[in-house]
Amino acid sequence: MKETEDIFLNLINQHKAIIHKISKMYMKDAEEQRDLFQEIVLQLWKAYPGFKGNSKFTTWMYRVCLNTALIYFKKDNRKPDKALLDENIDVIDVNENEGKEEKLTYLYAAVQELNAIEKALVFLFLENQSHREIAENLGISEINARVKLNRTKEKLQFIIKKNGYEF
Amino acid sequence: MNFDDLKNEWNAETPEGSNISTNMLKIKQAHTPIDKIRAKMKHEFFYQLFFLALMTFIPYLADFSSTVNQVYLMTYAITCGFTAYYFFKFYVFYKNSYDLSMDTRKNILWFYYEMKLNIELYKALTYIVAFIVVGFMSAYLFIEKASVFTKILTKLSPVYILLNCFITILIIGAITELWAWFYYGKYLKQVKKVVDELDYE
Repeated sequence: MKETEDIFLNLINQHKAIIHKISKMYMKDAEEQRDLFQEIVLQLWKAYPGFKGNSKFTTWMYRVCLNTALIYFKKDNRKPDKALLDENIDVIDVNENEGKEEKLTYLYAAVQELNAIEKALVFLFLENQSHREIAENLGISEINARVKLNRTKEKLQFIIKKNGYEF
Repeated sequence: MNFDDLKNEWNAETPEGSNISTNMLKIKQAHTPIDKIRAKMKHEFFYQLFFLALMTFIPYLADFSSTVNQVYLMTYAITCGFTAYYFFKFYVFYKNSYDLSMDTRKNILWFYYEMKLNIELYKALTYIVAFIVVGFMSAYLFIEKASVFTKILTKLSPVYILLNCFITILIIGAITELWAWFYYGKYLKQVKKVVDELDYE
């Protein structure tokens, strides 16, 4: 068990950027981002016994992370989970992008105006997924993925422009 | 807007913060809508058990006649039977684990229909219990207060009695639907929204 846990932790720590990025895309508030991050890690751990290595670890991880974010229900009353009370989990530093990654700061702000599926499309696109891979992950046709992605990119451009930024 | 530049920055972004540790894997409570519904159903199961236990004292407290007592026992047995059947179904739902590594469409539809099915089961149980209670109350009035009840019934027109029955059914229906919606509806609504977004052409 300990060995499985170590292998799993090693794998998700290598790819924790995926969880960070999805949490930031799906939740605006820093505390909610932490909650979602925590939920994704938990769901990955619960789903891990089902990972048989037939696909790449990241492919499997994309699906579990996105599916969790899509159906995640915000906590009604925020209370810190006991397991985390003694641990300093600096999941998201809200000011981390300040000054150094202006484009991404604007991007994260703009995606908040997109719906859950549009966020998934943008995320997979930025992760260098092809139209076919996006279609496979979302369970839609390749043509549909292409059309939806183009529309979403236009919408994103419009939002960013509307917010007074252009790049 | 140059998406290639954006992609480069995106891929270069490295998250700050400490590594994920074992502690994070020890959290017991998940927050998917299914988990929320399951947690609520678990609470309801205990409330239901408590009320069923409480119901065993009613004949002693209400001092029923032997005939009403027999009717009550039958009603109680039927309620227990239905509750046991539905809670067995809920238990199967509770234990049925989900697979988040499926593609999004399969995953979201699984969640949607699984939740919808169980909310419908929950409503069916509420209807059954409500009608059993109404049935017992009517039997009680017919047996224990027969003279008063018959007097009232003879004074009322059949249309009025029928109308009252319909209104009672309507009230039970409205309360059940509203309760189920208030208690579980928001979760179903959220998942349905994602299904619609996925299907939007």
